[in-house]
Amino acid sequence: MRHRFLRLMLGLAAICTLTPMPSVGQTAATTPYTPLRTADGHPNLQGIWQVVNTAAWDLEAHQASLGVPAGHSVVEGGAIPYQPSALAKKKDNFEQRATLDPETRCYLPGVPRITYMPYPFQIIQQADKVSIAYEYLRAIRYIYMNGNPHPPGPIDWWMGDSRGRWEGNTLVVDVIHFNDQTWFDRAGNFHSDALHVIERYTPTGPDHLLYEATIEDPNVFSRPWKISMPLYRRQEANSELLEYQCPAYLLEQEWDNPVSTLFGEH
Amino acid sequence: MSQRIFAAVQMLTVGFCVLILAPGPAAGQAFWREDTPKIPMAASWLAEKAELPPYNPPQTADGVPDLQGVWGGSGGDGLSYLEEHEYVDVTTPAQESFVSDPPDGKIPYTTWGLARRNEILAGLGRGWPDESGERLYSSPSAFCLNYMPRFSLSALEIVQQPGSVIMLGEEGYRVIPTDGRPPISEDAKFWFGNSRGHWEGDTLVVEVTSLNGRGWFDSTGHYYTENTRMTERWRLADENTIDYEVTIVDPTVYSRPWTMNFPRRRPGTGPDMRGGRMASAVMVNAPAFEDPYAGEVWEDACYEGNREGPASLRALGYDWFRGMTPPQ
Repeated sequence: MRHRFLRLMLGLAAICTLTPMPSVGQTAATTPYTPLRTADGHPNLQGIWQVVNTAAWDLEAHQASLGVPAGHSVVEGGAIPYQPSALAKKKDNFEQRATLDPETRCYLPGVPRITYMPYPFQIIQQADKVSIAYEYLRAIRYIYMNGNPHPPGPIDWWMGDSRGRWEGNTLVVDVIHFNDQTWFDRAGNFHSDALHVIERYTPTGPDHLLYEATIEDPNVFSRPWKISMPLYRRQEANSELLEYQCPAYLLEQEWDNPVSTLFGEH
Repeated sequence: MSQRIFAAVQMLTVGFCVLILAPGPAAGQAFWREDTPKIPMAASWLAEKAELPPYNPPQTADGVPDLQGVWGGSGGDGLSYLEEHEYVDVTTPAQESFVSDPPDGKIPYTTWGLARRNEILAGLGRGWPDESGERLYSSPSAFCLNYMPRFSLSALEIVQQPGSVIMLGEEGYRVIPTDGRPPISEDAKFWFGNSRGHWEGDTLVVEVTSLNGRGWFDSTGHYYTENTRMTERWRLADENTIDYEVTIVDPTVYSRPWTMNFPRRRPGTGPDMRGGRMASAVMVNAPAFEDPYAGEVWEDACYEGNREGPASLRALGYDWFRGMTPPQ
């Protein structure tokens, strides 16, 4: 008897979810959140933010392994559209990730990777720029909104050159002038120096931003692709950026290691 | 390094001659002539400050002094050598001491503390007089590490928000809460320590605790320990000058508190060559050089561009500076 009742309820629940009717979620989706504004009249994205996902390990769906939590893909459509030769390199990167991942050398991780590493960052808005202060490496990233276009290249920067604009409530950041030294995650997903990233930061509530990044690189991918994930405002009353000075810890650990590979051929 | 050179060439095609003629640390490393007049620091600033009329600073919407904008650092020899010195070599021209108190401009080390400082100085391996002939430590800055007070002595932009003061640098930043929250436990140590600010009249006072004692004051071995606390005082002396003071307390290596003091100028202002370290700060008002990007800070990637540096220092036999442990 109890089982039949349960089945009935489950059946009703299924019908409810399949029946098109206005739900709370849809109502929320059609009524965009109206964010607070800065003194300049722009949406106020300021504060300390952090992801809660496993994109730092692998942007694509992955099972758990030692020290690696399982996770869904954050890539729209699930898989990154590699060109065939690039996919082979990605697989090779994955096999050798313990030594090839630039994160293991404490280098600036590039964009968008630094966004979804497991460290908080703080958005600071001014009239001429939006600055993002990252706890990781104490990196500071200046997104200029002063009317200057990207400077002429070629320039090979670890974090690229960021130019921002507002589209409605969304901060849109165009990033080019990358080098080919950074990866997207710890799973070997990579790019060339032709990388072009378009980031979108959209407030969806007082404590949430939607982060989207469209990634183009004609040398590596067969078409542009996109990742998206929420950013969560850190809620602790004492939240602040501390520091993760990766090169200092690495150099100190390796300095007295006679077989360290950190110091190259010297 | 290559991208850094590219950026410099790109931006300085016209301004390069200006920099050569007016040596400063803007290009990363300046080369000084032996006949460069002694660079003014604390003593000259104390004399200048004594003549300044009182100044009422503008206020932010929150009713606190408005310190916002880009400010030069100490300038001079680029934090090569903190105490007064005559010309040593091309990177270390004659310069007054940073130390305003004690009045003799010397850091008041304890006997033990001074012995350690002299060991570091003798082991720098720079070809300076009185070296021991053995290499001991190289400055943490040689590894592109950033720390207090080095960050604070360099050019930066101040941004004020309700409850915090933010300092943005060429590489790195500080966010200083001014909302009265307590600092983190001193059991947790950081290269930048943990900063808490409050206003005393027109002065932003920043207490820095939780320092890890791995940083140096300059690049020639004036050091502190993980027992050290710093108190910074930021005050507008006139519309284009911040009177910057930092007092250092650590009874385990200094016999008394001591203070550094120098002016920070807005770019293009001020009577001396204490201009900023940020390329932008130096170039904003450079005549005959109108670059729309001059006010921007571009990626330096010091650590990434300096892969051979640590390898060379290690191969030369330098040790890694793990801080000093004073006697109990």
